[in-house]
Amino acid sequence: MRPAVAWLLACAVTVGAQSPVSAYLKLGSSINGRITDVSWQQQPIRYFVTERDGPGVTAAELRGAIGRATATWQNASGANVRFEFLGSTSAPPGEVDGRTTLGFLDRPDLDRVLGATSFLIDTTNGAIVEADVFFNTRFTWSVSAQGDAGRVDLESVALHELGHLLGLGHSALGETERTSTGGRRVVASGAVMFPIAMTSGAIADRTLQPDDIAGVADLYPAAGQLDSTGGITGRVTKNGQGLLGAHVVAFNPETGAIVGNFALNMDGEFAIVRLAPGPYVLRVEPLDDADVESYFSTAIDVDFRVTYAPRAVVAPRGGSSSPIEIKVQPK
Amino acid sequence: MRCLGAWVLGCLGALVLCAGSAAFAQNAEAPALRKHRVTASGGVTWSGSYPIGEATATYRTNAPGNTPPPFTLFSAASTVDAVAGIEGRVGFTVTPDLAVEAGVSFARPRVGIVIASDAEVAPHALEGEELQQYIVDAGAVWQLPLRLSRRVRPFVTGGAGYLRQLHQERTLVETGQVYYAGGGLRYWLRGGSGATRSFGLRADARAMWKRDGVDFEDRTRLFPVVSVFAFMGF
Repeated sequence: MRPAVAWLLACAVTVGAQSPVSAYLKLGSSINGRITDVSWQQQPIRYFVTERDGPGVTAAELRGAIGRATATWQNASGANVRFEFLGSTSAPPGEVDGRTTLGFLDRPDLDRVLGATSFLIDTTNGAIVEADVFFNTRFTWSVSAQGDAGRVDLESVALHELGHLLGLGHSALGETERTSTGGRRVVASGAVMFPIAMTSGAIADRTLQPDDIAGVADLYPAAGQLDSTGGITGRVTKNGQGLLGAHVVAFNPETGAIVGNFALNMDGEFAIVRLAPGPYVLRVEPLDDADVESYFSTAIDVDFRVTYAPRAVVAPRGGSSSPIEIKVQPK
Repeated sequence: MRCLGAWVLGCLGALVLCAGSAAFAQNAEAPALRKHRVTASGGVTWSGSYPIGEATATYRTNAPGNTPPPFTLFSAASTVDAVAGIEGRVGFTVTPDLAVEAGVSFARPRVGIVIASDAEVAPHALEGEELQQYIVDAGAVWQLPLRLSRRVRPFVTGGAGYLRQLHQERTLVETGQVYYAGGGLRYWLRGGSGATRSFGLRADARAMWKRDGVDFEDRTRLFPVVSVFAFMGF
C-alpha cells in the first residue's frame, strides 16, 4: 500500500526571534484525531550531505561537522539511534526525492533563520520517510574547535537540526531578554533544542543536555531504558481549573539534571518521562521567555506566578509517580 | 554542624563527668547483667537533623567558549529533619561487663527542601517528602567498671548497621550504611545483682555516621541519636 505522505516544514533554529515550536520534546502528527509521535521507524537513518561549500566552511568541513553531530546523538545515553552517511550529493536539501539530505541553501528571505528541518511523513503511522536540513548561506559559518567570534558554529546548529530530524521539537528551557529591535536574545538555555541559537562564537551547544537526552531516549529507548528510568505526572491548576501551557521544570538535586515539559491539555495535565529515578523539585512557570503563539495555536494563560510543587516528587524506577497537583496563583 | 559538634562534645563531657563522679564509688558493688543471658530493650529514639546536599539548577549562559559560566535558575538545600521513632534491641551478655546486641529502628523523617536564589520567587521551604526509614544494626555494649549509685551504671557502645530509606509512596528504595559510637546509663529498677532477672531503664546518646541512603551528595553525614528504653534482663 502506498503510504500517505505529507511534507511538513518545521523547526527552524533562529537568531533573536521565535519560530514555531512543537510542545515539549517531540514532534507530533495528527492521525485519525490522535497526536502520534513523529519518528524514524527504521534505522540506521541514512543521509547524504551536499557537496557545496558554504560561507566560511568547505563541503568537507560540513561533512565533518555533521558527522560529529550525528555521533553525539548516537552516543546519547539511554537512546538507540544510528546514522549512516551514504555520500555526497549535488541535490539541494528540501527536494522530495526520497533522500535525506543536509547541506547549505540560499535563503536570503529568512534573514533570522540559521537552519531548518523539513519532513516527509507517512500520515498513517507518523513514520518519517525523508527529512532534509538546510543551513542558511545568509550567515557565515565556522567549524573552529574553539569557536570563531562573528561566525555561527556549524556543529551546534547541526546538532540542533539533527534533533528535529530525529523527531524532537523545541524545548522551552531557557531565559531570554528583549532586544532593542524587538527580538529576543538568549541569556541562558538548558537544552540544545532551545529554539534560539547562542551568540556567534559560542560552542557549548555541541554537547547535549539532560533535557535533550531525555527526549531522544523517549523516542528511541535503548534496551532496558524503560525499566531503568521513571516518570513524573501531575496537573497544574489555577483557581481549581486546569492550566494548559504551563511549563513544568523538573530538577534532580542529585544529578543537577533539568528536564521540562508543558501541561498539554485543558485539564492541565503533564508528564515528564525518561528521568533518572529519584526525587525531583518541580517548578512551574509561565511561558514568558517566548511569544506564546510560537508554542501554542490556542490562547494560554500566562498570568500566574512561578510556583514550586509543595514537595519533592519521586520518579520511581520503571514507573511513574502518582499525580501531583500544583496550584498556581495569579500574578 | 556547629550544634552537632557541641552535642558530641557535650556527650563526651557527660561521660567524663560520669567517670569522674563514679571514681569514688568503686568500692561498692556495681549493678550488672546476668552472664550468658539475653537482654531485650524497647523504646523511643530521636534522630537529629542533618543536611543531605545543596544543589543549584543552572542553565548554560550565552557566552563564547566550551564551558561558559552557569546561569542560576534556583538552588535547593535539602535536609533530613529531626524525627522521633521506635527502636528495639536484643543483647547477649558475654561477660557481666560486655554484651553484644542487635537493634532495629523505624522512623518517618521528612526531607525538607529550602528553595533560594530564584529571581522570581522569594526563598521558602517546601513541605517536604516523608521517608520510611529502617536501621538494622549490630554492636557491642561495654559496661564501664564504675558505679554511679547502687542502681546506675554507665556504658559505652559502638556498632554498624544497614540503612534502608523508602521515598514517599514507597516507590523507590535507597540503602546505605550507618556507624555509631556513644554511651549511656542503665538504671536498674529491679535486679542488677547479676544473679536474677532484672528490669530497668536505659538511655543512650550516640553519634551516628551515615553513608549513602537518601543523599544528594557523596558524603558521610553525622547526626545525633538519643534513645530511651525499658530493658528486661532474663
